Amino acid sequence: MIEFVVNGRGVSVDADADTPLLWIIRDDVGLTGTKFGCGIGMCGACTVLVGGRATRSCITPVSDVAGTEITTIEGLDPNGDHPVQVAWRNISVPQCGYCQSGQIMQAVALLKDIPIPTDDDIDAVMTGNLCRCMTYNRIRKAVHEASQAMIGEKNSG
Amino acid sequence: MLKSALAVAAIAAVLVFGAFAIYAYRSPIAPLSAAAHPKFSPEVIEKGRILASAGYCATCHTEQGGKPYAGNYPLNTGFGTIYASNITPDPETGIGDWSPEAFRRAMHDGVSRDGSHLFPAFPFDHFTLMSDEDVDAIYAYLMSEVKPVKLATKSNTIPFPLNMRIWQAGWQLLFVDFGRFKPNPQKSEQWNRGAYLVEGITHCGACHTPRNILGAEKKSREFAGASIDEWIAPALTAANPSAVPWTASEFTRYLQTGAGVYHGIAAGPMAPVVHAGIGELPESDLVAIGTYLGDIVGAPDTNPADNPLVIASLKAGKPDPAYRKDLGERLYATACAACHYNSKEVMEGRPDLAINSATRLDKPDNLIHVILDGVSSDEGSKGIVMPAFRHALSNEQIAAIAAYLRDKRAELKPWSDLTERVASIRGEHAGK
Amino acid sequence: MAEVLRLPKDPRSSADLTRRGFLVSMCATGAVFGFPSIANAAMNPEAPDGLPIEAVGAKYEPTIWYWIDTEGHVNVNIIRAEMGQHVGTAIARILADELGANWDDVHIDHVDSAAKWGTMVTGGSWSVWQSWPVYRQAGAAGRIALSEKAAQQWGIDPAQVTVKDGMVSGAGQKLSFGELVAMGLTRVFTEEELKQLPLKPHSDLTLVGRDVKALDIATKTTGHAIFGIDAKVDGMVYAAPIMPPTRYGSSITSIEDSAAKNIKGYRQTLKLDDPSETVQGWAMVVADTFWAAQKAARLVKVEWNAGDAAKVDEAAIQERGRSLIADEAKGAILDTGDTDVAPVFAKAASTLEAEYTTATVLHFQLEPVNATAYQAPDGVWMIDTGNQWQSLALPWLQKALGVGEGGVVMRTYLLGGGFGRRLNGDYAVPAALTSKALGGAPVKMILTRPQDAEFDSPRSPSVQNIRMAFDADNNVIAMDSAATAGWPTKAMIPAAMEKGVNGEMYDPFAADGIDHWYSVGAQRARVISNDLAESTFRPGWLRSVSPGWINWAIESFMSEAAAKLGQDPVAFRLAHLKAEGRNAGSAPNSVGGASRQANVLKRVADLSGYGKTKLPADTAIGIATTYGQSRSMPTWVGGAAQVHVDRKTGRVAVDKLWLVIDCGTVVDPNSAHAQCEGAALWGLSMALYEGTEIEHGLPSARNLDVYTPLRMIDTPEVVIEFVDSTEVPTGLGEPGTTVIAPAIGNAIFEAVGVRLRHLPITPAAVRAALEA
Repeated sequence: MIEFVVNGRGVSVDADADTPLLWIIRDDVGLTGTKFGCGIGMCGACTVLVGGRATRSCITPVSDVAGTEITTIEGLDPNGDHPVQVAWRNISVPQCGYCQSGQIMQAVALLKDIPIPTDDDIDAVMTGNLCRCMTYNRIRKAVHEASQAMIGEKNSG
Repeated sequence: MLKSALAVAAIAAVLVFGAFAIYAYRSPIAPLSAAAHPKFSPEVIEKGRILASAGYCATCHTEQGGKPYAGNYPLNTGFGTIYASNITPDPETGIGDWSPEAFRRAMHDGVSRDGSHLFPAFPFDHFTLMSDEDVDAIYAYLMSEVKPVKLATKSNTIPFPLNMRIWQAGWQLLFVDFGRFKPNPQKSEQWNRGAYLVEGITHCGACHTPRNILGAEKKSREFAGASIDEWIAPALTAANPSAVPWTASEFTRYLQTGAGVYHGIAAGPMAPVVHAGIGELPESDLVAIGTYLGDIVGAPDTNPADNPLVIASLKAGKPDPAYRKDLGERLYATACAACHYNSKEVMEGRPDLAINSATRLDKPDNLIHVILDGVSSDEGSKGIVMPAFRHALSNEQIAAIAAYLRDKRAELKPWSDLTERVASIRGEHAGK
Repeated sequence: MAEVLRLPKDPRSSADLTRRGFLVSMCATGAVFGFPSIANAAMNPEAPDGLPIEAVGAKYEPTIWYWIDTEGHVNVNIIRAEMGQHVGTAIARILADELGANWDDVHIDHVDSAAKWGTMVTGGSWSVWQSWPVYRQAGAAGRIALSEKAAQQWGIDPAQVTVKDGMVSGAGQKLSFGELVAMGLTRVFTEEELKQLPLKPHSDLTLVGRDVKALDIATKTTGHAIFGIDAKVDGMVYAAPIMPPTRYGSSITSIEDSAAKNIKGYRQTLKLDDPSETVQGWAMVVADTFWAAQKAARLVKVEWNAGDAAKVDEAAIQERGRSLIADEAKGAILDTGDTDVAPVFAKAASTLEAEYTTATVLHFQLEPVNATAYQAPDGVWMIDTGNQWQSLALPWLQKALGVGEGGVVMRTYLLGGGFGRRLNGDYAVPAALTSKALGGAPVKMILTRPQDAEFDSPRSPSVQNIRMAFDADNNVIAMDSAATAGWPTKAMIPAAMEKGVNGEMYDPFAADGIDHWYSVGAQRARVISNDLAESTFRPGWLRSVSPGWINWAIESFMSEAAAKLGQDPVAFRLAHLKAEGRNAGSAPNSVGGASRQANVLKRVADLSGYGKTKLPADTAIGIATTYGQSRSMPTWVGGAAQVHVDRKTGRVAVDKLWLVIDCGTVVDPNSAHAQCEGAALWGLSMALYEGTEIEHGLPSARNLDVYTPLRMIDTPEVVIEFVDSTEVPTGLGEPGTTVIAPAIGNAIFEAVGVRLRHLPITPAAVRAALEA
């Protein structure tokens, strides 16, 4: 049994140690917002937070996350109103939407480490997340907007 | 892990020639029935538990999937396999019938209760420095808290006559300075406490000190760094190639958290040392260890953020739109930079690879290991992980990333035969 | 960790635990999604569970396209697939605007594949264009029925009634849609009546052309949007294909699975026999979990007799294309008026000729193709998947399963990218066959990324040869264009081919672009199917199809011709966009003809500062213009790209892109902008970064370590301007793609004086050209 926490809830799975975390989250835990894209950690669709850090779940063996706290797109905010999600909606970022869970999780991690990112920072951190609909310019805009919102929240809170 | 190196030492030892039979003879110490065991106070038992952790006894004395301390962890050598012994209080197969004296003799002199010499895979050359009180505490812990497990230790597979224990006495004669730790009056109490721990129970030199042809630690090159199980145990001296010199406070922080912001993380064999071992020591002891190791490195405790190599690394890490020009750089930009990028300062949890030990060591082994198999939750910073690229990237691709980091980012002398090295390390740990 | 849930390995038992024990208690977190029944095989992308809204009380259906219930909910049926266009929002808005509904009351259903919906296809950038008249008529029908009912209630003339924001008012009184429906509305309309209904004047439209909340976006930010890969059916097993060495003609000679039997959860390996011949030589590994199936598949040894294509590579396909072009007897000649170019070339004072090529391009839609198949208790086969052309895939599935019409229902989930890949529903067939082999048990098949690439219907490599004849005064007197590639329509739906003036059939989607709107005197446009490409792989429709490769040739060539004559490339083009004769345009779709293309070209030249802005060394703006997808539905596009060429490395940096687009009425401005920007960046990606080559019959690049599409760091600013227009709305999903590659090629020429004639443009090719 490998135990860890997903979105605040304890989970215990009996799976082969080498099973990628992605499939445990999708098929065992049943949270399908995290997506399968390339299977080699180079598109970012499978990004979840492990211990608060953006992690490509498709190449992370489930045995490696024993004892960790994992957040998926579904657990980011109870109402789906994390400032990054709100910015994504305000700017109508998603087209097909398939990569956007991963984009949002990556953006959340980016803003946690670098609250006011420059375009260079966004290029560096978000380039690992592929968007086939090419929503990149809107993603960039939404990251800046979310940054402003979060700074404002911090200052007023 | 240090286990292999010690195993090599063990084998080398048997090559020492001579008739040591008389010299080497040690009498058995009488067995002690369970009823006759002394009783220990909870304080002593707890102290023993902490020391056993700090010496990571369980790491070697537990086989994969096995019961703690029940032994049979295989130490593979070119000559055969040695199995760690069962040190649970089982009277038949463990050390349940050992008296405190027998245990002390094993720790201090490398001699088993029955009088046979122990292979130096067991680092009694370090434990000999430990006080009777500390050794007794470990005994108290093993006897009181560890569940007895009936499990016979497998016979080693080293062929006759190399397997004759008697040869060990000669090795001991040549290479071991028996005797308790002697404080250096020139140094502070804290320094001496650190030295006592580092040289004794935590036996850091077992991995970090290079060994001679017979497998003994080279006293003249203490902590100069060594290769263990295709991992590199970096130098703990001024020879450490880190961009930012290690300091007392960095050592302490690293041992507390498993990660040094300017150096790297405790991965591979170092992971259990930190997370299943030294971390149990009280903060004062970790500070003492830091003080001692920091003194060996000898670097002043300056602000790493001002280090020109750190500043250069941050600059070199800025994204380059021409990143597609180099395979390693392209792969790095798409597979690594999401985490391994820093904006204005090097942040915890965002290892900056140009200044990271793994990139700066003379050998690429540690970097390759981590790219292949990632970092699990019990390695490095607790609770965070790095994915494993074993099934994602080819040997050539991993080599390209390593070369990019080494040549272009760290601007150090290129590693040679990188692709072959990746293939070799991939093959060694194929099971993972 | 107070509440620890143990998830056992066996999915048959975990299915229960997962669904009831875990998810239900977690409320709105996870989504275990399966359509509840055939009758309800529709999808609402607005709802976290994907379920369509249910009518409250009676519902009134003015046409099959929507109903209104007693609460005033307007539920619009959408036959198009949602793949990023927010197509349901665009189409529902057309209807709602004409109806006079309140947007907050509007909901959408992406419907099942029942015959009543007619042809179901989401491609060609047709959705809005085709829906525009139909959904406006449908909206008008409801408006009229509601007005009549209200007028009857109030005893007034229906002409005195107004309908707005979900309320019907007149004679000082008001009734809501819901109240009127509750009173009992039954009016139905014949097709003929629908066509005669009066439509609102453009000026009265309040939703079209304005930004409204897209109904599918919110769930795409919370993880609740449900894609094909998320489909779940009780008791389903997972299937992992082992694919043959060639797309066609490979047959399995042996399967050895003893090593796989050690994998926990492994069940069996099937050899698929496909009566539809969609998949040839496939083995399918079946296991309890996705990972078990993958692990087992690595251990199963399959041997094949490989098809002939195993010997074919990209160079051979392109050589075949060249030899086909060289043979004047080959191919179909399009109707471009005077096609007799030979005598004109014979008397020409000078001529110009150039060849342009493009490499194989993958769709690489981010969601690998997948399908979940099972047989419902009533015997009907259910295919849960994301698909763009249900009407094309259904007959294949029926043939594969040995059932007749109505024997298969496709349930269309959200598509994790379409781009034309899912126009070809071939991937549903192996899932269906596997379920059939398991007696109808539910099977979920997901291709791995490399398999998705291997099984892709890629954009075919292409060769174009263009000649132009000039008289002694440097007037253009003839143009002769030939284009060859593997033809998707020929491969998949030959009935949709068209006949050329020489009686030969051609694939219109592989010919679009060649029958351009320039007036060039005698004009021959010849398109030839590359038989070697077609026997090697299944060519696909990929975002914009041939306008993507033919305009690369045409628009590069127009600049080459201008350069030969020493003329400005914009001026040269404008001189030939005369809007006369066959290029004058016609109602309803191409009113204004080439004059509208001239307009977007002039406008984009102005907008970009083309020829005016002083730029640094080795930096220049290039321009190109197209008519989007086809002459029958032109979307006029002017494009400009500013590039900087690094002479040392050959790297081309694209600093900025501009698009000016005339698509008639812009129905959904926000989405229109997104579609055009995405399309332009696809154009950029295919111009510089994408492309692979066929090796041993298959695409050689199969994952992101070697296939390298545009990413965040590569993305320039994109400036987009729409021409204000009330003409018929034409397509927007693809046209933006068509101008970018030639604009970049032309910019490189302007910047450093070298002409690149192959896509993708690599730094090595630029260096080589600079050194030549």
